[in-house]
Amino acid sequence: MRMFVTIGQFALFCVAVTRATLTHRPPVAASLQAAYEIGIRSLPILVIISTFVGTNLALQGYNAFKPLGGQSLVGMFVALAGVREMAPIMVAAMVAAKAGTEMASQIAVMRIQEQIDALEVMAVNPYWYLVTPRFAGILLVLPALTIISVFTLLLSSYSVSVFQLGLNGDEFLSHIQQTMSMMDFVFTSVKSIAFGAIICMVSCFYGFYSSPGATGVGAATNASVVVSAVLCSSLNYVLSELLYG
Amino acid sequence: MADPIIRLVNLHKSFGSLVVLDGVSFDIPTGETTAIIGPSGTGKSVLIKHIVGLLEPDEGQVWVGDVDMATANEKRKYEVRRRFGMLFQDGALFDSMTAGENVAFPLRYHTKLNEKQRREKAEEMMELVELPGVYDRPTSALSGGQRKRVGLARAIVLEPEIILFDEPNSGLDPLTSDTIDELIGKMKRQLGITFIVITHDIVSCVNIADHIVMLNGGKLIEHSPTQSFIRSENPFVRSFLRRNVDLDALKPL
Repeated sequence: MRMFVTIGQFALFCVAVTRATLTHRPPVAASLQAAYEIGIRSLPILVIISTFVGTNLALQGYNAFKPLGGQSLVGMFVALAGVREMAPIMVAAMVAAKAGTEMASQIAVMRIQEQIDALEVMAVNPYWYLVTPRFAGILLVLPALTIISVFTLLLSSYSVSVFQLGLNGDEFLSHIQQTMSMMDFVFTSVKSIAFGAIICMVSCFYGFYSSPGATGVGAATNASVVVSAVLCSSLNYVLSELLYG
Repeated sequence: MADPIIRLVNLHKSFGSLVVLDGVSFDIPTGETTAIIGPSGTGKSVLIKHIVGLLEPDEGQVWVGDVDMATANEKRKYEVRRRFGMLFQDGALFDSMTAGENVAFPLRYHTKLNEKQRREKAEEMMELVELPGVYDRPTSALSGGQRKRVGLARAIVLEPEIILFDEPNSGLDPLTSDTIDELIGKMKRQLGITFIVITHDIVSCVNIADHIVMLNGGKLIEHSPTQSFIRSENPFVRSFLRRNVDLDALKPL
């Protein structure tokens, strides 16, 4: 029962945000600021994790294919698993953990300290002021972060494959080229835009409906990351089926 | 009593099984100060949130001029809110901005002033609340009394017709509390606008209010001019006054 109430509240929240976004002037400067903050803060951790996901994919691919004599197919494995699946969901998980929790906790504290009520009394729409710039910012920056993650992952898996495992670099790149096309970058961007929308709306929603007190802020932050991760993972399957199936 | 600017008619509000407002009706006169008092948890803050349309009643009407905030659409509510300023209990200042930026914030969205003009106007308001020279100070570096004054400067910066104060003296020492009362009195004289003050500080009430409304258990107990209120024979009012102050010492400022 409680779940249905939450779904109903979330739907109303999405309607309110959409209406506020469409009926007010676009908050360009605030959106660019949000994009910068989400992008810059997430970039270092993203590069580090992508690097090591790439190295491990190369190692696991090599170990899996070697008994079959197909170790030269590591490039194809990295392209399929890493680029199409791992990179978008990994970036979404990191941004949900870093930027999403920040959104949820900031907005929850504003709710508790009556700052959202203050916005309303000052006749400033809180959905437009708080959610719209974050939404635009995350949609701007998430595809870029995902493409950076893709290249970092490919570079690190190439390095391990060639310099540690002794595979032929040209062969590795040729398998990647045969497996991937420009459409993979388009599809990856589509996925990351969908994940960005989910992360922002879910995180802001839990912030807006936070219960009072430190426990309330903690619960809102926790729920934002858990729900974002579950929704992104399940949507990833649906999108993969639609785009590649 | 002057013509009412706000009329509350048979207001009912419950949260689950908890009845917070139970048939409250009274008028708030234009250009005068009305204090709403009562014990904690008696529906004072809920009442004020109905006035600005942050909450919708289960039953009843909240007339601000000719608009019923209980049934008005969002657009209309935002138009009506332009007539209000509000000082929140803890100031509700935005931590990401300096004190002065908080004061200038409404000007950004409701005037065509440029940044320099907004700063000048905000500094003027900060002087009015006797807080000059702190425009660039972060809100985290302000004391409780200073936060209230910044909140007050923000509430008056658009020169509203009605200002709401939610517990302006809560958490303040007696001296700072007196200073806030004096500021409210000064603004009342200088600006001539309608003030609605929520408090459970009876001394503050007598200092600043023309009329006092008393709530208890979501019901209206008493609504009368300040001097009549002090002399009220209502047993609950007498008991509330006796518990809180020396009755003989009560005199308006």
